[in-house]
Amino acid sequence: MNLRLSPQTLLVLDAFLVQAEEWKYGYDLSRITGLKSGTLYPILMRLAERKLLETAWEAGEPGRPPRHMYRFTPEGFRVARANALSRTLGNLGKVALEMGLDR
Amino acid sequence: MSTPRKLAAKLLEAVERYAPEQSREWASAMLAELDFIDGDWSALFWALGSATAIARHAAGNWRSWFSNTKHPKEEKMESTGKKTVGVLSGAGLALLLAFAGMGLVQFLGFMFPDSGIEHMQWPHFLGAIVIPEIVFVISAILLWRKRPPVAVGILLMGAAIGVHVAVHFATH
Repeated sequence: MNLRLSPQTLLVLDAFLVQAEEWKYGYDLSRITGLKSGTLYPILMRLAERKLLETAWEAGEPGRPPRHMYRFTPEGFRVARANALSRTLGNLGKVALEMGLDR
Repeated sequence: MSTPRKLAAKLLEAVERYAPEQSREWASAMLAELDFIDGDWSALFWALGSATAIARHAAGNWRSWFSNTKHPKEEKMESTGKKTVGVLSGAGLALLLAFAGMGLVQFLGFMFPDSGIEHMQWPHFLGAIVIPEIVFVISAILLWRKRPPVAVGILLMGAAIGVHVAVHFATH
């Protein structure tokens, strides 16, 4: 999977991993990750183009426009979870090295 | 509605209207979120960031349209032999079209002898040069992504015919 996993992309992936089955909105993701729209949306676009995210329109309340929603595809969930796991293992390895537990 | 929020809405509406087809859904998504943003200035900054994101997305689409790295069909055309065949096919097609244009003018002259088309210069110029050259350019642009060698062949033949005609006019 040729996906550039910048720190910002990792933030977005982590945000989607929380209650992964639920649909999420752009502005909510922006608040959770602290990313501005100019950074967040290119990441969402890339993830959607690589079929890691699925998108849908939510029927809005009367007088309000429908909102665009996002959630992981099964492939996206697998990639994000594998990445999160490898980062956790990497961090554990670093901690073990610092504590001298590798000997 | 405050001025910054109005500005934000106007900006995103314009972005949505003028965004290319591939980016329009995203522009609509950004515009829809505007109603849920609390602060007016936050809404404006949201709109500015969104407009930038759409511009970058549209630019990326144009880049990938012109680049020839992402299309798997191209892999079939990688070998030199196949590229050569592609260039020759393009050149052959272009030559065929130019001859067809010239033939059409001759045919019209034969069918309507009173019109005097055979003795006029502009129908020959139009049928054998102008229309085929326009078709060459359009087809080369359309083929550039999927069949670059064919597009190159068409352009080369188009240039050769153009030079030939220029030399013909210069010497006669």
